[in-house]
Amino acid sequence: MSEAAPHLVVSGVSKRYGAATVLEHVDLTILRGELVTLLGPSGCGKTTLLRAIAGLAPPDTGTIRLAGRDLTHEPPHRRNVGVVFQSYALFPHLTVAGNVAFGLKVRGTPKAEIDRAVERALALVKLGHLGGRRISALSGGQQQRVALARAIAVEPDVLLFDEALSALDRKLREEMQVELRRLLQEVKATAIFVTHDQDEALTMSDRVAVMNKGRIEQLAEPRELYARPATLFALNFVGLSTRIAGQVVSSQNGMVDVVTPVGRLSARGAFQPGASVIVATRPEQLRLGAEHGANAASGRVRSVVFQGSRTLVDVDAGAGASLLAELSGREAEVPRVHDEVRFAWPAAETFAFAAEAAA
Amino acid sequence: MTEAVLQAPVVKTAPDRERLAAFGFVAPSLLIIGLVFVLPLALLLGVSVLDPKGGVTAAHYIRLLGTPYYLGVIWNSLRLGLLTTLIAFLISYPAAFALARARGPLRSILLATLFLPLAASVVVKAFAWTILLRSDGLINTVLIALGIIEDPIRMIFTQTALIIGAVNIFLPFMVLPIYAVVAQLDSRYAEAAATLGASPLVVFFRVILPLTLPGIIAGVALVFSLSVSAYVVPTLLIGEKYPTLATIIAKAYLLAREPGFGAAAGVVLLGIAVIVVALSAMLSREPT
Repeated sequence: MSEAAPHLVVSGVSKRYGAATVLEHVDLTILRGELVTLLGPSGCGKTTLLRAIAGLAPPDTGTIRLAGRDLTHEPPHRRNVGVVFQSYALFPHLTVAGNVAFGLKVRGTPKAEIDRAVERALALVKLGHLGGRRISALSGGQQQRVALARAIAVEPDVLLFDEALSALDRKLREEMQVELRRLLQEVKATAIFVTHDQDEALTMSDRVAVMNKGRIEQLAEPRELYARPATLFALNFVGLSTRIAGQVVSSQNGMVDVVTPVGRLSARGAFQPGASVIVATRPEQLRLGAEHGANAASGRVRSVVFQGSRTLVDVDAGAGASLLAELSGREAEVPRVHDEVRFAWPAAETFAFAAEAAA
Repeated sequence: MTEAVLQAPVVKTAPDRERLAAFGFVAPSLLIIGLVFVLPLALLLGVSVLDPKGGVTAAHYIRLLGTPYYLGVIWNSLRLGLLTTLIAFLISYPAAFALARARGPLRSILLATLFLPLAASVVVKAFAWTILLRSDGLINTVLIALGIIEDPIRMIFTQTALIIGAVNIFLPFMVLPIYAVVAQLDSRYAEAAATLGASPLVVFFRVILPLTLPGIIAGVALVFSLSVSAYVVPTLLIGEKYPTLATIIAKAYLLAREPGFGAAAGVVLLGIAVIVVALSAMLSREPT
């Protein structure tokens, strides 16, 4: 089978609960072996989309195809999907091995084969020695691994993670993000993660789908999502940014000139003159001092936050506008609070978004 | 350093002192339990094996377990207990799920209808059933008035009446423990099982049933021990022709003045209940 063949195809999926539309005509195509994250705030529909794929919340309209089969009307037990729940939902009446064996047992797999598969799955999550343990005797991190082993053991066509790491403490979560990605790539799994944690999304995925109000706002690789946010929502949700409101005065070749309270700024975007826009850039684009041909603004330092490898400087640029600059640890000169500073940043890394989208 | 050394013995004795204090707090209740439960049982056991003429005797037990009539009585009690428990379970299990799924005022109303009868005496409820089931009772009157039957159906003083009454009266003791477990049951378990390939039937038998087993076992233990030893219910709803251990105990004490025999019957009844409860407890602890 070709690596680039569409593996999971969600098309035109909508779902309502009463008067509320939770999913609005969502299209999503995932390739075999891809790790994709549905990222968004609570209530954006990401979990509902995951449950629709799993068959736990059938969509009102639209179709879902997985590995060449139309699953739209299949009940969950005939879909061959693996789900890792936030609460893990490990069966408390079964042992670790009993949990991992469950999916194979109900499929009628021969005993010897089950034993081999359970052993393999537990070894994969490094819990080979705990097969006989009761679930209640495991730590949260171990339970998370058992849930993963249970889902992997049946060799599902797609693995679905519903906020699966959010119950772990921060350090363990960060370790698991890296380990889980490595593990899923090792077994060539296709997986979808649902999370509201942008770091998790950027760390673990090949592509990230930013969701808002039941729609996918942008589906892109993590780097592109960060560097070229398609919407104001995607910009706000992933990473930090400086945002200044203004009005377009001229437009040419995909660049606009915008008059803002801090001065005239150039930005990427296609708008008619007169349009109200938000001009934005990422904090690491800002450099101390002036530069020819670049955007620039000055103001008084409001706060300086030292974060180890980087320092965040918040500047009051007047008229309600503020600049957020990130200085790397190697930069010798770090301004102090109340200093008058001037920052410059490249126009190519400045974006204009329609202002009404902020609502 | 010095602090640690100084503190070491204190840390060591603290658990002992705590244990002593804990025992002090528990002692009064232990005493009450001893006086109220253990002592009477010991007396009962004593009376059942003591010969009034002196010495120890097994005569009462031989009479009880060696006479076909009394074996029939023991079977009557067991039958009442088993049938009531089985039927109550079959009604309660789906009822507990319905109760757990119900929301808002409906749930409160359902719970109230389940709890309120517990406030009424068993005697009142058993009498209520005799009124309903009598030949000139409500059910027969309505059926005749509707022309469905011509002659009253004989219901009161039948085994049917006994079982209906017993199931009705002991039902809450089955529903409530099962409901308590079902209400706590995370729906994610069933979802996880389904995504792993289990059909709804398999989900039920492999996940839902095992996870609700503790509630079932508690309900079975409660309803069985209540119905196997029921006195008022068989006395009022079926009477003389269905003697149970409870009714012959009463007769032995009140009419025949044979406390030794009554005590022996009491011990046998207690034994049956203890065996069932112990079996239930073992079942609930068995790892699957």
